[in-house]
Amino acid sequence: MEPAEVEFLAEKELVTIVPNFSLDRIHLIGGDLGPFNPGLPVEVPVWLAINLKQRQKCRLIPPEWMDVGKLEEIRDQERKEDTFTPMPSPYYMELTKLLLNYASDNIPRADEIRTLVKDTWDTRVAKLRLSADSFVRQQEAHAKLDNLTLMEIITTGTFLTQALDHMYKLRTNLQPGEGSHSQEF
Amino acid sequence: MSEAYFPVGPGLGMEENFLSLDDILMSQEKLPGRAETALPRLAVLMGQGASSAESVPEGSKLEIPLWLAKGLHDSKRRIISVELPKIYKEAWRTVFSADANVVDLHKMGPYYYGFGSQLLNFENPENPEIAQTILQTFVARFRRIMDSSQNAYNEDTSALVARLDELERALFQVGQKGLNDFQCWEKGQASQITASSLVQNYGKRKLTEVDG
Repeated sequence: MEPAEVEFLAEKELVTIVPNFSLDRIHLIGGDLGPFNPGLPVEVPVWLAINLKQRQKCRLIPPEWMDVGKLEEIRDQERKEDTFTPMPSPYYMELTKLLLNYASDNIPRADEIRTLVKDTWDTRVAKLRLSADSFVRQQEAHAKLDNLTLMEIITTGTFLTQALDHMYKLRTNLQPGEGSHSQEF
Repeated sequence: MSEAYFPVGPGLGMEENFLSLDDILMSQEKLPGRAETALPRLAVLMGQGASSAESVPEGSKLEIPLWLAKGLHDSKRRIISVELPKIYKEAWRTVFSADANVVDLHKMGPYYYGFGSQLLNFENPENPEIAQTILQTFVARFRRIMDSSQNAYNEDTSALVARLDELERALFQVGQKGLNDFQCWEKGQASQITASSLVQNYGKRKLTEVDG
């Protein structure tokens, strides 16, 4: 899985916009959207919101967790706890990137929000590495981590699974099993 | 950015992967050994004599590549006997258990883990300790590899990989790739269309005129 694929999945999340055009209810395969009336907020998926914003047909309203106070709380809690705190959205990283890139004029204090989200991300990734290291060092068989988001998992996922593969093969060396495939002359 | 060519990885463990280039290179590493019987007319091959009629006398010391040692090794017909290379012996094992991070595994034979796993094929009373040492070394060095590969973005990594053996270097590459993919996505480059690396060279080749 790549970050671009995770971003694609994140674009299904719903976000509130205020359109400046009107349109009747539209029926798409995934569900219905609309009706759109100028000045009335409506919930749409992020992919549509970004598209409309680029065509200057709407104004984005930031999600209620994308606020400096709330994010500071989350960041401080993340730093205090040893386990992962539940994040307000399973795609917080992608949503932050998308919304702040395309609609930063609709989001107050965008730079601070970006910094806070990055700090939280760094803390979480550091915790993930710490727990991966203790997992390998103690050669555990099973670990469970709650409240991880998909993006965090894929950044270290391939590395961790390959390292664990190697470790597994080296561990099976310890048991001298039967079946040495030597060729007899 | 999907790959078009997936190289076969080394089969780590007591069996090699037949198609893996890493395993082929690894099996070229030499082991110290002794000829248990006289080997007629093979002196030149073993680097011991000058003419093709000389034979290797019994008991002489040889450096045998792993692939040859595995093929000739047989407990019933004793043709050669092998010893452990020094890095798998007791003295170095204590160095590894003291602190595995300082050892330059690239200098010690760039295929420490693979070669060590292959050595377990030859019956040797120290095999369990060797296997244990290899595993512990890997576990101890894991942290350093993870940290360095996931934090070195856009810098020269030759100093970081200089002391890693081939297996660890492959892991390092994977870690770097994860990091680079994420950074590239965050900068927004993931949605830019670029030419694939496979076809980038096509425009650079000039057709030479064929005379006649």
